[in-house]
Amino acid sequence: MNKENIAIPVSVTKTKAVKRKNKNLLTPWLFLLPSIIVLGTFLVIPIVEAFHWSLLDYKIIAGTGEFVGLANFKEIFTDTTFWLALWNTILFLIIVLPLNIFLPMILAVLVNQAIKGVSTFRILYYLPVVTPMVVAALMWKMLYSQSGPISSILVSLGLFDNPTNLLVESSTALVAVSAITVWKGLGYYMIIYLAGLQSISKDVYESAEIDGANAIQKFWRITVPMLTPSVTLVSVMTIIAGMKVFEEIALTTGGGPAGATTTLVMYIFNKFMSLDVSIASAAGVVLLLLAIGASLLQMKLTSSREDDLRA
Amino acid sequence: MKRKRITQKLMLYALMVFISVITVGPFLVTLFMALKSPGENIYGTIYPTDPTLANFTDSFSKANFGLYFLNTFIVTAIAIPLNLLFCSLAAYPLARMDFRGRGIVLSLIIATMMVPFQLYMAPLFQLAGELGLRNTYVGLIVMQVATAFGIYLMRQAYLRIPKELEESAYLDGANRFQVWYRVALPLVKPTLVTLAIFTFMGTWGDYLWPLLNSTESSMYTLSIGLAQLSQNFDGSNLKLISAASILTTIPTLILFMALQKYFISGATDGAVKG
Repeated sequence: MNKENIAIPVSVTKTKAVKRKNKNLLTPWLFLLPSIIVLGTFLVIPIVEAFHWSLLDYKIIAGTGEFVGLANFKEIFTDTTFWLALWNTILFLIIVLPLNIFLPMILAVLVNQAIKGVSTFRILYYLPVVTPMVVAALMWKMLYSQSGPISSILVSLGLFDNPTNLLVESSTALVAVSAITVWKGLGYYMIIYLAGLQSISKDVYESAEIDGANAIQKFWRITVPMLTPSVTLVSVMTIIAGMKVFEEIALTTGGGPAGATTTLVMYIFNKFMSLDVSIASAAGVVLLLLAIGASLLQMKLTSSREDDLRA
Repeated sequence: MKRKRITQKLMLYALMVFISVITVGPFLVTLFMALKSPGENIYGTIYPTDPTLANFTDSFSKANFGLYFLNTFIVTAIAIPLNLLFCSLAAYPLARMDFRGRGIVLSLIIATMMVPFQLYMAPLFQLAGELGLRNTYVGLIVMQVATAFGIYLMRQAYLRIPKELEESAYLDGANRFQVWYRVALPLVKPTLVTLAIFTFMGTWGDYLWPLLNSTESSMYTLSIGLAQLSQNFDGSNLKLISAASILTTIPTLILFMALQKYFISGATDGAVKG
């Protein structure tokens, strides 16, 4: 009786294992099929087409185009608007990157304290993250208006003589737009830093206290260096997201005034809207190459650390 | 010493309150603007002197936001369960089965995560037209149904669960689908919630694709309705825009309050998102 009880499961296991191996050929593809159909149709085909269009003189209304080789790339590389757009994208990143690195870090340190009410503050700081981008853009457009609160604050601080809408001045428009991006990301990057902070051992701070370090010294000498992996992650995420910045520009300045906020994505969007789809595709390929560069950098820098950050 | 500590604490709180004013202030300004009565000066005072809900009702009656709300709700409510189903299905063999082509599929998925939407929006726009998806719910939903990011996220979740439970289910005679559905899926529930949140946020607030695909106002989502309304950005329209902005944000706020924990853990999970 006992022998049988042991023998049966073993033989069952064997046949199951054989069966599973045969079924293996088809089963994984059955699991994958729905996604392959959808992603194949609405992602892979359009991507392949975009590469194709970038080499054509494609007319979207006629639905045809002739092969023109690299002429579209030649055209964008000789287009001053394209270089301005690339420059604006870089400038945007130069403004946003340091702010994204430091402001959320300070927020994270503040809400990481063991004092009353921090969880409420965490929620308040995270609210912009869950706000739809269109809403965020419009709220800020309202705040920026000439008779709005930001303008009056700037005048009362003596920074401007007359009420000014920062979004319509070509010298300040890009900074004004960047502020929206930074505001919306504060809470998100705060959480990334919080995960990093919680992995720092308390002993380090305790021994620094024994040595008589004050709060500011502890921040610069311990917190900042120990957060290096998080800083890397935040930087690369900022660069990748920043290259694709769109809504906060499209809905506030529309790329203006005089192209001052026309980023690479706005350039592509404008080309698409004027039906220069082949030019748009070629510029899209350039954007993709830049995005791949940044993503590869991210993978290289974060792959080994992903798990500690997942806390 | 004690007094010094108290002042230090007060300064900390003051700083934290100041930051809250920056993060929450824009919502309050918008809410106050939305509550201003028709005759009130838009920038007279920040708070409304004669609060009214008229702008909220107007956004439904005059600006058609009831319909936009419904459209957005339908698209989101269908996209989320489909996305969870498609992604959790597709991710399972990529995490647990050994088959020819797995490496290629996996690297394709990771590669497509890097591709900016703006690269392929033109061909996609044309394709949607050819397939008769312009100005349809399907045209909006289909973009959110299977996402490379969702598959990647679910695969990571499956990789974190121990294999033993699934193996003992096979010994009990369950097949691949049964093991996936009864054993693996319940173990990755938290990630399913995270993915549902990502899909919700991505669909509810999506702007560019609905802007291209919904050309008729009957198919506008909230984002598009808001963008159209903001074409005229002054006077009494600003109160209407504010009311519509608040209405658009309320569902995301409710969801955030209800699922805070998942939003926060999702932020670090989403760190891989390109």
